[in-house]
Amino acid sequence: MHKKPWDWEIEASAARVFSFQPAFFRNNKDLLLRFARRDLVASYQQTILGPVWIFLQPLLTTLVYYIVFGKIVRLSTEGLPAVVFYLPGIILWNFFSDCVMETMYTFIKNAHVFNKVYFPRIVVPFSAALVQLVRLLIQLVVFLLVYAYYLWQGYYPVPGVTLLLIPLLLIMQTALALGTGLVMSAVLAKYRDMENIFHFLLRLFMFATPVFYAASIIPPQLRWFYWFNPLTVIIETWRAAFFSWKDIHYNYIALAFVESMLVLLAGIWLFQKRALTVIDTI
Amino acid sequence: MHDTIIELENVSKLYRLGNYGSGSFKEDFTGWWNRKVLRKPADLLQTRQQYELWALKNINLSVNRGEVLGFLGSNGAGKSTLLKLIARITLPTTGIIRGKGRIATLLEVGTGFHHELTGRENIFLNGTILGMKTREIKAKLDEIIAFSGIERFIDTPVKRYSSGMYVRLAFAIAANLDPEILIIDEVLAVGDEAFQRKCIGKMKEVTGHAGRTVLFVSHNTQALKNLCARVVCMDKGQIVEEGLPEKVIADYLKKAQQQFFYQEYATPEEAPGNDHIRIKKVSLVPRFLPGFNAIDIRTPLEIHFEFWYFNGASDSLIAGIQLHTLSGECIFDICSTGHCFSNGKVSGHCLIPGNFLNDGSYYISLSFVKNTTNRLFHFEACLSFDVEDYRTQSAWFGKWLGYVRPAFPVLLEYEPILTGIV
Repeated sequence: MHKKPWDWEIEASAARVFSFQPAFFRNNKDLLLRFARRDLVASYQQTILGPVWIFLQPLLTTLVYYIVFGKIVRLSTEGLPAVVFYLPGIILWNFFSDCVMETMYTFIKNAHVFNKVYFPRIVVPFSAALVQLVRLLIQLVVFLLVYAYYLWQGYYPVPGVTLLLIPLLLIMQTALALGTGLVMSAVLAKYRDMENIFHFLLRLFMFATPVFYAASIIPPQLRWFYWFNPLTVIIETWRAAFFSWKDIHYNYIALAFVESMLVLLAGIWLFQKRALTVIDTI
Repeated sequence: MHDTIIELENVSKLYRLGNYGSGSFKEDFTGWWNRKVLRKPADLLQTRQQYELWALKNINLSVNRGEVLGFLGSNGAGKSTLLKLIARITLPTTGIIRGKGRIATLLEVGTGFHHELTGRENIFLNGTILGMKTREIKAKLDEIIAFSGIERFIDTPVKRYSSGMYVRLAFAIAANLDPEILIIDEVLAVGDEAFQRKCIGKMKEVTGHAGRTVLFVSHNTQALKNLCARVVCMDKGQIVEEGLPEKVIADYLKKAQQQFFYQEYATPEEAPGNDHIRIKKVSLVPRFLPGFNAIDIRTPLEIHFEFWYFNGASDSLIAGIQLHTLSGECIFDICSTGHCFSNGKVSGHCLIPGNFLNDGSYYISLSFVKNTTNRLFHFEACLSFDVEDYRTQSAWFGKWLGYVRPAFPVLLEYEPILTGIV
């Protein structure tokens, strides 16, 4: 029998964990977009306001923060109007937290589908991240409108080239959130009791990140450790880029970039590894 | 000569049950701690039994392009595992599977349907999950909607669908898939009869041309016989027979039917019964038709029984036979005429003619009655058997209704309409 060229081979040992190539996005574009569309359309079924919630939700949170942290606790907004100070923190944090929460349950929520049909499993978390990215971009429009209004009122100097950092921050942010979610989903598929710990860690992480306060309130001796958190760097750089009221720490940005990419790579690796055997155990 | 499209080489699949993947971090961590850090010997740590199950053992199989291959076997024989391996849903423990072309898997209907979305959205969603590109679905959308027969509700969320509509829509998508290899598991067991007929028709159409390769698992031997060119029979993770459908199916049925055809006891002491009656023997003897070795609807069945009879005296004895379906409905309850016997051995016979019972599972009970009212002994479910379907020509592959299926002739008479006479 002569050797025939095969299109595909399935073998236990030849399961290449890190076979993640650029062609992945081209081959799975339809599925990626279809899942994203499903999540977007389904999440606003039978709600009256529908997609308006994408705008409304960060604005309502801003109102709560303004009352609790601005008026009651009286945390400094560094001289900025409350709404422009809180909005970026809220939008970026919500993106991170929603993204992690959505991707964390990939294996558990989709076990019935994974058990019936094959497609690259990692499409699911990628599309979940895509949905969050779309929401983030829509919320950015709200932020930019508010920002433009106060800029016109003259609350802060006109920004310069630092705004070019924003796309980079978005990439880092997405990599970090997706990577964290992937790691958690791989762990959660095996150890269900980690769910509560992850929820706890996520809440703790919010307080370790300057979401509703400015990083300047951290005591100087703790600062080096505090800035080790890539999300701190992302949010603080974001504020700095728009309001130019302090220096941008490029060395921190470089560190946070490396950290985010490492988290993403670790996430993809763990996820792909888990995806091979998950059906037999979940 | 043949173009092989899928090839399995020494494929095995091991499932670990029990300890493995305990799902608790604490257990795995203490296990790791004991093994690696405290270096306790492994045998002390086997707190729970670890079960291993070879769902498949050394499967070698090749499938040719354009072939419709059926899989047959009892539950747990490994058929579904085999399909899941080929579909890449789970990985083999050993061995290698090679193949060419795109695979679509239909292990259930409506995989990934979202309840909040409309029928139309779900066509795109399900189709994409099954491996179609968006533009392919767009091209086939009208065909899919027409096939489903639920045009009026296509823009309604599927959560408002009846289960029948849901299945229709799901199958309409599946039927219009266009892969090189199609893997189907038992999906024909759903839907109403008219729709089932439509699906089989569609399956015949898609398998008939365009070199489509189909792997098909079903318990519906009628469908296997009609659709497949080759059938593989599996048992306990291994292929026991493969070849022409008629042969493989008949052998499988024969084996499956060796259930409860015969009971015999040497002495009255060990035999079931009481002071009046002790059963010596009951047996069911099918009179197979030439060339067949399984009970189908045409096969006459002989029932033989023998019993020891005590304390007879002048009482009149009647022996009765009840035939029930496995689901409990009584098909008939017949009895002998009354006889007076003294102590001794009595034997009885009965013939259930062919072309009487419909296909299904049945059991037989015997009862013995004294003086028309006084029940001496009832031997419940002493024989059981399955009747398989047999059809020569029919476009309908679903279950034939009714408990009996007699060959009463149905006659039609024709009278032409004579034009000109009013």
